[in-house]
Amino acid sequence: MTHLRLERLTRRFPGTAAPAVDGISLDLPQGALLALLGPSGCGKTTTLRMIAGLEVPDEGRIQVAGRDVTSLPPHRRNMGVVFQSYALFPHLSAAGNVAFGLEMRGVARADRAKRVADALALVGLEGFAARKPRQLSGGQQQRVALARALAPQPDLLLLDEPLSALDAKLREEVRDEIRAVQQRLGTTTVFVTHDQTEALAMADLVAVMHQGRIEQLATPEEVFERPATRFVATFVGRAAILAAEVVSPGLLRAGEATLQAAETPPSGRAEIFIRPHHLRPLADGVEAANALPARVTRRTYTGDIITLECDSPAGRLLAEVPGGTQAALLRPGDALRLGVEPGDLRVFPA
Amino acid sequence: MIGLLLCLPAALILAAGFVWPVLLLGRISFNRTTDMGAMEEAWTLETYAKIVTDDFTWDLAWNTITLSAGAAAAAVALALPVTLLIRSAPPRWRGVLALMAVAPLLVSGTARVVGWMAILGDQGMINALLTGLGLTSQPLRLINNLTGVRIGLTESLMPYCCLVLIAGLSRLDSRLEEAAATLGATRSRTFFRVTLPLAAPALAAAFALAFVLGVSAFITPRLMGGGRVFVVATEIFDLALETVDWPAAAALAMLLLGTLVVAMVLRGVLAGREAPR
Repeated sequence: MTHLRLERLTRRFPGTAAPAVDGISLDLPQGALLALLGPSGCGKTTTLRMIAGLEVPDEGRIQVAGRDVTSLPPHRRNMGVVFQSYALFPHLSAAGNVAFGLEMRGVARADRAKRVADALALVGLEGFAARKPRQLSGGQQQRVALARALAPQPDLLLLDEPLSALDAKLREEVRDEIRAVQQRLGTTTVFVTHDQTEALAMADLVAVMHQGRIEQLATPEEVFERPATRFVATFVGRAAILAAEVVSPGLLRAGEATLQAAETPPSGRAEIFIRPHHLRPLADGVEAANALPARVTRRTYTGDIITLECDSPAGRLLAEVPGGTQAALLRPGDALRLGVEPGDLRVFPA
Repeated sequence: MIGLLLCLPAALILAAGFVWPVLLLGRISFNRTTDMGAMEEAWTLETYAKIVTDDFTWDLAWNTITLSAGAAAAAVALALPVTLLIRSAPPRWRGVLALMAVAPLLVSGTARVVGWMAILGDQGMINALLTGLGLTSQPLRLINNLTGVRIGLTESLMPYCCLVLIAGLSRLDSRLEEAAATLGATRSRTFFRVTLPLAAPALAAAFALAFVLGVSAFITPRLMGGGRVFVVATEIFDLALETVDWPAAAALAMLLLGTLVVAMVLRGVLAGREAPR
């Protein structure tokens, strides 16, 4: 069932030519986590702020659980927001911060204490209720911000780059925590990030945004494996990009090689995107629809995965091979054959 | 080292123009006034004793403190909404609005008093309006009395309060108010539960500055009080130039200075204890 619906949401900032958010529409089912993913300035934070009521859309509508909230002020929307800087109240303790939303909603004092304790326990901060924000570490502040947003049982949880202020190791930990808490409570959530790993790891649905529009709205797998546009293919994940010409539908000419693809434009110049993990080293004698002779030019070791940069008749390719395999031992100058399924080639008109 | 050298001219000017006269004043306060009214070189505490035991001094001190505290509180209360407006204005307007708020500092105190006379006098704007509307038959006495001094002092302290509050509130993160709104707080509850508590240190600093300036104010009480309002500063002036009792004027000035220094040190200690780090 649709819980959050955005209809042609648009926001123009005075003095700028292009709208920051340009007619965004989407439906988000109850309990799902949506990641708004895109580079800075793509309109993802503005979209989030419009959902929260902190920014007023110039056009379009926002519906939560069938109710139109477009013209409601933020304090009447019942949404939990976690800000990038956390925005914890410095003059209140962790418990005071968490209690704030309950108090504003008129929750009785006795009930409030229990719900504050529950919310702090939910994020693993039982012993920190009396601490002021400045006495907490970055990760702890983050958790207080999450507990504060969730304590009033919001209709929608909104997170604005909640992990960007944390260091790499903590980020992964808190990321998994947020996801676990969100799934336990079943709170429909919108999450803004510029980090594709975060988006792919946490989200049920990813909306890749570019210049105020949604380029693709799909599951993480779909976005990664079958990018809908050239922008999505370049922004999410790595890919080798080959200049090509459509010979006939399903057949392409790239450099001196001929490649088969499941889907191509009817004719004309095109660009082929190949994800590194879609290229497989072929054992001798094994045939494939697309088999390319290649020579390793560079090898990057990152532990479990080895990235091989190769020259081939089709152009420069990137291949990922698992550590511990025969191909992982290849060195620059070594020759190999790489195969790729026609369905794994993404072809966009150039 | 070079920094210290560059501070030397300012230090010299301060030494010659401020420290030396204050020391001189301190010295004079220990002199004796003869029955004939002449000043006699001495090292005596007679003058201090006379001042401290005189009920009139305590009346003066009480008047001065209540007047400045009231005016400072009113100035802070009036400056706060102005500052909040400036803070919420679009960035390109902020500079202009801030300049407007402190513009009264660019006008001489005397000129401002003349302006107030045109507004508050018996034939002034306000009385003309009130009688014109038939609200009063007699003009209200708004100047040349305590009311006039209160109005004038409040107005003259407001720009200073604005300066302190603009600086203090610029560090207040507007995300905190947004966070309060998303947690269900109306605008007024956000103000009382978030904005005001966080602005408290700035409000205290503004009040302290305004109070100190109010206590030492001379022009406004003198010119807008019409000779009916007596504060410590006007009394020092009268003692020095009308009674020509220099030791008394000097001693009273030293007492005022000492009180202000003690008050400021106390405030510093209190503020330091409230805000660790």
